[in-house]
Amino acid sequence: MIDKIKFWLEEGKIDVFLGYREVENHPLPWCFTRERLEEVDDLVAGPARYSLEKIATHMAEEDPDIRIGMLARDCSQRALNVLYVWNQLKREQISTMDVNCCPSRLKEHPDCSYLEPAGVGSYKKEVGIDNNLSLEDVDRYGPEEGLHRWMYEFQKCIKCYGCRNICPVCFCRECSLDNEELVRAGPLIPDIPVFHLVRAVHMAGRCIDCGLCEDACPMDIPLRLLYQKVSRIVLKLFDYKTGTNADQPPFSILGERVTLEPKPIQPASGA
Amino acid sequence: MECKLVPSVCSYCGTGCGVLFEVINNRIVGTLPMKTHPVNEGKLCIKGWNLHEHVNSILRLKQPLVKTFGRFMKTDWDEAIRLTADRFKEIIAEHGPDSIGVLVSAKMTNEENYLAQKFARAVIGTNNVDHCARL
Repeated sequence: MIDKIKFWLEEGKIDVFLGYREVENHPLPWCFTRERLEEVDDLVAGPARYSLEKIATHMAEEDPDIRIGMLARDCSQRALNVLYVWNQLKREQISTMDVNCCPSRLKEHPDCSYLEPAGVGSYKKEVGIDNNLSLEDVDRYGPEEGLHRWMYEFQKCIKCYGCRNICPVCFCRECSLDNEELVRAGPLIPDIPVFHLVRAVHMAGRCIDCGLCEDACPMDIPLRLLYQKVSRIVLKLFDYKTGTNADQPPFSILGERVTLEPKPIQPASGA
Repeated sequence: MECKLVPSVCSYCGTGCGVLFEVINNRIVGTLPMKTHPVNEGKLCIKGWNLHEHVNSILRLKQPLVKTFGRFMKTDWDEAIRLTADRFKEIIAEHGPDSIGVLVSAKMTNEENYLAQKFARAVIGTNNVDHCARL
């Protein structure tokens, strides 16, 4: 793998390669370049997982023609497909080096890129929603009990916006969660369940089930389950499985033209 | 294209969460939580997530300002420190050293906080020292 990345960089197939490198015992995302080729020898593939594709979109904003190579797990592949669909990256500018999903007891599960499942306390199991449950288990609570349990989870929210900020497929320049009429700036707890449901609705056809949002949630809200539910509905209504390929999403039936602004976006003034 | 992810520690409070600054072409474009950091384990609060914004803010103060006749005037550090020292001396002479209090901050290092209390006790001569994390 290391030789192949070096070869890609040397022959000019890619300008930079996004991977991981240990810095003071922390595996951190690292941008390998032709100029510092010897660093590629230190490349590691895990175990930490960052959204390399999000870093790639930020680089493409600066230089729309940059060719980027990156380590890609299954979830990264799905995220990239969504980013191609929404014109955030160009398919021809990305080369992926495929690696296994995160090491986990759940590795045989093809969609899973979770690290070890987190332990869940007894109180949360009693009144909230265990993050390790399946969608079917949650549906079994029924509407009334389900609502109570979800509201318990939502009222813990400290409105850090971490779920949005870490999301590899959140790139809108204007975010509904910043809309004063939907989510008022200031109050804590945020307007629930509006905050979480607005985000859930916007994840329809976007969420690639990588689990980074839940990973980043300081309050352990089972966000992944929430968005899985939305994705399940999209699959049922539109027969569309988000991120499996780079074709247009079902929502494009709403109009012929892509209304999203294509790259490059001009940097904000004063930069 | 230069892209670096620079590990650092959040300076907003005393917790000490590990953050990564996303630096593209020598400009900080984003902040990420450090996944393997023992303090925050890949999570951040809203202040930590937006650390990079005050670095790039056009409202950021980059040099000292001195209020003269009700308006803030730009000046240099020597002038600002001289003016402050003169005013402190006047106030201490008139009202005594306990008329001054020093409030230090979690945004500073331990060493800086130590220096600040030393300044309060040894230079100004007061025990009025406190820390924002105790508020």
